Amino acid sequence: MATKVVMPQLGESVVEGTVMKWLRQEGEAIEEFDSLLEVESAKVNTEIPSPADGVLLKILVPEGTTVNAGTIIAWVGEPGEVIPMEESGEPSPQSMMEKPSKKETETTTSQDVRPAEQKVGRDRDLGFISPVVAKLAREKHVDLYQINGTGQGGRITKKDVLNFLETKSQDSTTEPEVAAWETPGEGDLFRPTELQFPDRFKKSSQEEQKDKISPQVLSHAAIKEDKLVPHSNMRRSIAAHMVKSVSTAPHVTTVMEADLSAVVRHRAFYKEKYAQENVRLTFTPYFMLASVAALKAYPMVNSSWQEDGILLRKAIHMGMATSLGEEGLIVPVIKHADNYSLMGMARVVNDLGDRAKNHQLKPDEVLGGTFTITNHGTSGSLFATPIINQPQCAILGVGIIKKRAVVIQDAIAIRPMVYLSLTFDHRILDGASADGFLAEIVKNLETWT
Amino acid sequence: MSEYDVVVVGAGPGGYVAAIRASQLGLKTAIIEKQWLGGVCLNVGCIPSKSLLKNADVAHTLRKRGKEFGFKFDNLELDFSAAVKRSRQVSNRLVKGVGFLMKKNNIDVFMGTAKLTAKDKLVVTDEEGKTEALSAKNIILSTGAHSASIPGVEVDGEKVVSYQEAILQTHQPKSVVIIGAGAIGVEFATVWNSYGTDVTIVEMLPRVVPLEDEEIGIELGKAFNKQGIKTLTNHRVQKVEKTDDGVRVTVSNDSGETVLEAEQALMAIGFRPNSKGLGLEEIGVELDGRGFVKIDDRMATNVPGIWAIGDLTGKLLLAHVASTQGIVCAENIAGAETVTLDYRMMPRATYCHPQVASFGLTEAQAKEEGYEIKVGRFPFQVNGKALGLGESPGFVKIISDVKYGEILGAHLIGPEVSELLPELTLAQNMELTAAEISRNVHAHPTLSEVLMEAAHDVEGHMIHM
Repeated sequence: MATKVVMPQLGESVVEGTVMKWLRQEGEAIEEFDSLLEVESAKVNTEIPSPADGVLLKILVPEGTTVNAGTIIAWVGEPGEVIPMEESGEPSPQSMMEKPSKKETETTTSQDVRPAEQKVGRDRDLGFISPVVAKLAREKHVDLYQINGTGQGGRITKKDVLNFLETKSQDSTTEPEVAAWETPGEGDLFRPTELQFPDRFKKSSQEEQKDKISPQVLSHAAIKEDKLVPHSNMRRSIAAHMVKSVSTAPHVTTVMEADLSAVVRHRAFYKEKYAQENVRLTFTPYFMLASVAALKAYPMVNSSWQEDGILLRKAIHMGMATSLGEEGLIVPVIKHADNYSLMGMARVVNDLGDRAKNHQLKPDEVLGGTFTITNHGTSGSLFATPIINQPQCAILGVGIIKKRAVVIQDAIAIRPMVYLSLTFDHRILDGASADGFLAEIVKNLETWT
Repeated sequence: MSEYDVVVVGAGPGGYVAAIRASQLGLKTAIIEKQWLGGVCLNVGCIPSKSLLKNADVAHTLRKRGKEFGFKFDNLELDFSAAVKRSRQVSNRLVKGVGFLMKKNNIDVFMGTAKLTAKDKLVVTDEEGKTEALSAKNIILSTGAHSASIPGVEVDGEKVVSYQEAILQTHQPKSVVIIGAGAIGVEFATVWNSYGTDVTIVEMLPRVVPLEDEEIGIELGKAFNKQGIKTLTNHRVQKVEKTDDGVRVTVSNDSGETVLEAEQALMAIGFRPNSKGLGLEEIGVELDGRGFVKIDDRMATNVPGIWAIGDLTGKLLLAHVASTQGIVCAENIAGAETVTLDYRMMPRATYCHPQVASFGLTEAQAKEEGYEIKVGRFPFQVNGKALGLGESPGFVKIISDVKYGEILGAHLIGPEVSELLPELTLAQNMELTAAEISRNVHAHPTLSEVLMEAAHDVEGHMIHM
């Protein structure tokens, strides 16, 4: 007998879902538990498995259509099997007689040689850097994070560095990597740098030419017809959340800085060890655990405003804002975050982050957060004033980790510094208690062992 | 008509490996072979020749070094046909293995000659003339190459032979003129000389193994001289005539002509691609001036869906290069993660005595390309293991870039040096420098200590010299 496929309820409060993509065509064979379709609900994309072995007999809900949970969206059964009429509603007798046509699976042939994927940017593991590449990078002052690796497993090879240098030298607009005044230990400290190293300040003949012809390069924005980008479910959902949050909670932001020397040292020591366990150790787990400890010390922050009182949450469920690029953002939740060791936290952060980017989060994994961290520093931001993820009390913004000159015991030292911003609901917290909480996080990070 | 995602034409070490990888990646795969599963390599090339060379090594020791090792014979008999028989057994065993691998990977095998009738269709004609049509979304051409001959010289398989007849014949000639001192020429020279054949090698270029680093050619030339193999380098073959009891080969150099008489002549001057008769011209597959199929980094030809690997592509005519190309090709077809190949850095091994192994740039090439180089050398003469084996000639030479320490190439001659290459090629591939190799502890006593010492030499501090 044919088996029906229904739109599942993708979470307690989720009553409808949108069919995003049918992964099988009508007539195609499928095994039980093979992915049949992708469904989007609120912000989460989920693959729905087939409930039975057989062929996909009939698709009732086309892609892009939103239906209530419980709606029959397709039938799976033996080829040629008749779909029960009273339940299916839609299929005409004719369509049921259709023989399943054998759908050929396309052989995908990539146009380019596909090395392992490796993104450019700070938020990545450079992996093995060969001695040759290290030497080359040191000599040419190359930031390896900017280079796309094409070697095995995304390894940056000498060729990649040379290609990068070549394209960079062709691109005349690029600033020199290291400014002359940042090169230490050369020449007379008390003579103007320009006089000491005139060649560093020489303009290329091309640039001089440019200066003569057009001292100012005007940008001409092309005039195009404006275009309406229809809202995705995610965009709508983000918009609704943001408006609701700013209109209900009075937002106040406080900012502190933290010296991450201890964390950086710790991470450098354990990174390799974690890697042997297949765990990528980023900075996020440190911020997570530092905040978890602070939440325990300041339980008032782990709370929600309600008309009849402030609801103190016992469990600490940490939200981790994860950017999906232009598509939007999503906040997977690490449940009972106080149960994790650093390695456990690193593992769950990686897992949720990866799955968020690949649209593989389960609906429940984005619900129930009691506090949220957003690491906007990964895109270069110094500090920000994020909006509270309702119905939570506060959100921690983590800026970029940068070496800065700081004064320690009346001496100038270079330290990896970060700005931490805490945006809180002023109905629940006052400035002093919020500062106390933030200072606790700073203390936890600075005294990390 | 049977339909496939991938049909491989030619089951040599390139083709059968490509088929296995394609099948592993979920593609429905068939392979067509007209003569031998395993191709030239397993049947009449790399594999049986290594078996013969082992016999040759034993024969040489008994005949020439008995006194040194303390073996005395009144009447030493060498049965060359037994050596050939052993080589056939080795060969057959591996060929059966290929058949098993095809079965294990669900690859359909068609024995017959293939011809492309369209860019996605082939016809296979078997020995009895029966035909079968196949359709394929992707066709991998791996038909290999055949031995080339000097214009006007007919290879009759009796008096003038190619490697194929030479490896199958059950006797060794009393005397032979080997034309060409490349890998095939010097390997047969080693086999036959060990069994007592009077061997003369004629080479147009100034050294034996002429494509290897200059020092290697000189060292091998010396070793051959000592073994009684005559080498006429800088000599051109003018004509090859058949006589009643053999051949007469006329060769010349700047000072005049010389006539060489021998029972047989072995033609070993190189290879030409098997690109004719496949229907490639009709479909428009682009060939280079010498008839090799042109490919890109993905092993794709100019015709979408048609791919080519191995000797047919003329990149580097070596079995392991073909296999590697096969894997890359299958991965590109399947859209899987893969790599690109740097053909210059592929390992090369020649099993003459002493063995020659190398990869990367020769010293001359590196200088020509403008590298400032450091050369590290170390001889086997002071290596304990080599002395114990009684194999002291030879050395290792590592060429490294002064600026970044990159290993540009290595050239080895001596005992079992083909087995020493992987450490160096891995180092090159991962862009390690001589410093890492020299600090990699090598077991003592091993031949591989020579690598470590040569790397120390690059760093400027050899220990044992």
